[in-house]
Amino acid sequence: MTTDPPFAIEVSNLTVSYNARPALLDVSVRIEKDQLVGVIGPNGAGKSTFIKAILGFVKPDLGTVKIKGIHAKNAKGQVAYVPQRGAVDWDFPITVQEVALMGRYQQIAWYSSPCKKDRDAAMEALDMVRMANLAHRQIGELSGGQQQRVFMARALAQGSDILLLDEPFAGVDAATERAILDVLERAKKSGKTLVVVHHDLSTAAEYFDKLLLIKQRLYAYGEPDIVLQEDLLSQVYEGRLKIFKDVIKKERN
Amino acid sequence: MFDLFVAPLTETYFQKALIGGSIVAMVAGVVGCLVVLRRMAFLGDALSHAMIAGVAGGYLVMKLFFGLEAHAPGMLLGSLIAAVTTVALISFVSRISRVKEDTAIGIMYTGIFALGVVAVSIFRHYIHIDLMHFIMGDILGVADTDLWVSAFVAAGVLSLILLFFRHFQLSTFDPIMAASIGLPVVFLDYLFTTCVSLVVVSAVSMVGVILVVGLLITPAATAYLLSDRLDKMMMLAALFGVTSVIGGLYLCVWLDSAGGGAIMLFCTLQFLVVLTVAPKYGLLARWMRLRNLVPQQVVEDVLTTVLRNGKPASPDLIRKYAGEGKGLQKALRRMVQDGLLRHEGQDYSLTDKGEKEASIVLRAHRLWETYLKSIGTPEQEVHATAHQLEHLDQTQTLAYLDKKLGSPKTDPHGKTIPTK
Repeated sequence: MTTDPPFAIEVSNLTVSYNARPALLDVSVRIEKDQLVGVIGPNGAGKSTFIKAILGFVKPDLGTVKIKGIHAKNAKGQVAYVPQRGAVDWDFPITVQEVALMGRYQQIAWYSSPCKKDRDAAMEALDMVRMANLAHRQIGELSGGQQQRVFMARALAQGSDILLLDEPFAGVDAATERAILDVLERAKKSGKTLVVVHHDLSTAAEYFDKLLLIKQRLYAYGEPDIVLQEDLLSQVYEGRLKIFKDVIKKERN
Repeated sequence: MFDLFVAPLTETYFQKALIGGSIVAMVAGVVGCLVVLRRMAFLGDALSHAMIAGVAGGYLVMKLFFGLEAHAPGMLLGSLIAAVTTVALISFVSRISRVKEDTAIGIMYTGIFALGVVAVSIFRHYIHIDLMHFIMGDILGVADTDLWVSAFVAAGVLSLILLFFRHFQLSTFDPIMAASIGLPVVFLDYLFTTCVSLVVVSAVSMVGVILVVGLLITPAATAYLLSDRLDKMMMLAALFGVTSVIGGLYLCVWLDSAGGGAIMLFCTLQFLVVLTVAPKYGLLARWMRLRNLVPQQVVEDVLTTVLRNGKPASPDLIRKYAGEGKGLQKALRRMVQDGLLRHEGQDYSLTDKGEKEASIVLRAHRLWETYLKSIGTPEQEVHATAHQLEHLDQTQTLAYLDKKLGSPKTDPHGKTIPTK
């Protein structure tokens, strides 16, 4: 019997650059299984690039990414991905159900069509995020939170153990944020590892088990109270620390 | 009538134009859907212009090395090579330099087009191509070889798109996910560009360099206005392509005009008609939606007026409390349609649904009054301010107010606060 590798994602010496501008510099981190991990950092810190590098969509200049102990190149489909809302073409002629069905594409051989089993799996995933009743809507007709949930259903339908989410909480109201968090926590309970790009420091400690603080370089990775240190945050966020002092205080109490 | 429609059909040139044009337009429509969704319309233009260099090159090579005059497959291969080279150059330039893609397309296609024009004019004693023929196309003079070429291209491209439908759909919609499940995204991009080049090459001899991009994108854009699924959009685009060719050819025979021009004119008119009348994304539908829009505030004011009145309210009474004007008439009509109000002779009364909504607003109003009073708002301002606040969307706020005020039964004026 083989033992499972202990880490869901292992990133070592990851360096990515766009033209001459470095997006990520020498990032090494190991993310354990069954964690809800928040990726935080200011705008343009390379958070989305980090996600895309794990997915194998951007080629690193240097460094390697391993998924469950296997080199990312050979671990296609092990990682499911929920895109940032702004990155999706909401006018695309596609229905909610078809988006969820995309989660099954990797299981379908190239010469055959989706069968009933695939459709059922897609509907089941939509059910999990409570979107089954809107299955035949075009995706542009949904509210922000509903749109987010459709893509979550797609990721769940993929059946991967690792989910990467790019800013799922951006531009949704408080009630929707709760609903999304609820889905994330249920996914974690069912044994999934989630890596979530997050922009709101004030809720970071409450939502996540571990935090990952990046700005090109990796500044810290660990429990929220280790990462949310005043000196660390001041290095990363430069001068905009006043607001965060309250956050840290709240965290201490 | 008979002469108008059937007489042209008996002419061989018309039959060939109809068959060839329909085949090309059908496949162009299907491929065009992906061109539109990938925002590559400009690239289609680039490909068609780049072809002229390829045609000249193919012609020269075949003539100089094999002594064959105007060898069609040679020219076809040449234009395909030119098209793919253009695409490769474009993506190379936009990837490694700071020049953006649209600029790179502009540079490369004019450059290669110019190369073609110069080559054709230098070797004008060897190359017997009529540039105008190439630029304008000649659908009424379609040769049998052209027909065969376009039939093979159509069959090949359509089977590719059908077979790899899901791959093209996913890599167009979400290339990041496509890459993450191991689809060869870059290869698919090149495969697709090759398909577009093939379609463009087979269509240029019929409608010409300038109009071919229209045949590619206009039927697809027309279909885009009518469908919410990619497979349906492709079928509609193919249909619109074929109808453009049929309509355009008749137009060209009747008016004795240029074939390619008539087809594109018909195609564009078709687009404009659909743009106007499309049930969901059309201009008329949009205008109707805007016209039927009734401010929620007016609706809520009418509801509470009728509820406070306790019995069916006359239009005059409603006008007194809920505002004047044409907007009110529209609102009343709309509310009867939506099942909020009921006619009682001249008067209006609330339906069950209307009563439920009215009491929610009234509850908001009276809770706000109670709250405003409790924080010491002057008596004369309480009603007016509450009247503003009652229209906010506020389930949670109301629950909070209710709790904070200890679930009061009556408002400061002694009136009952409706329960939830």
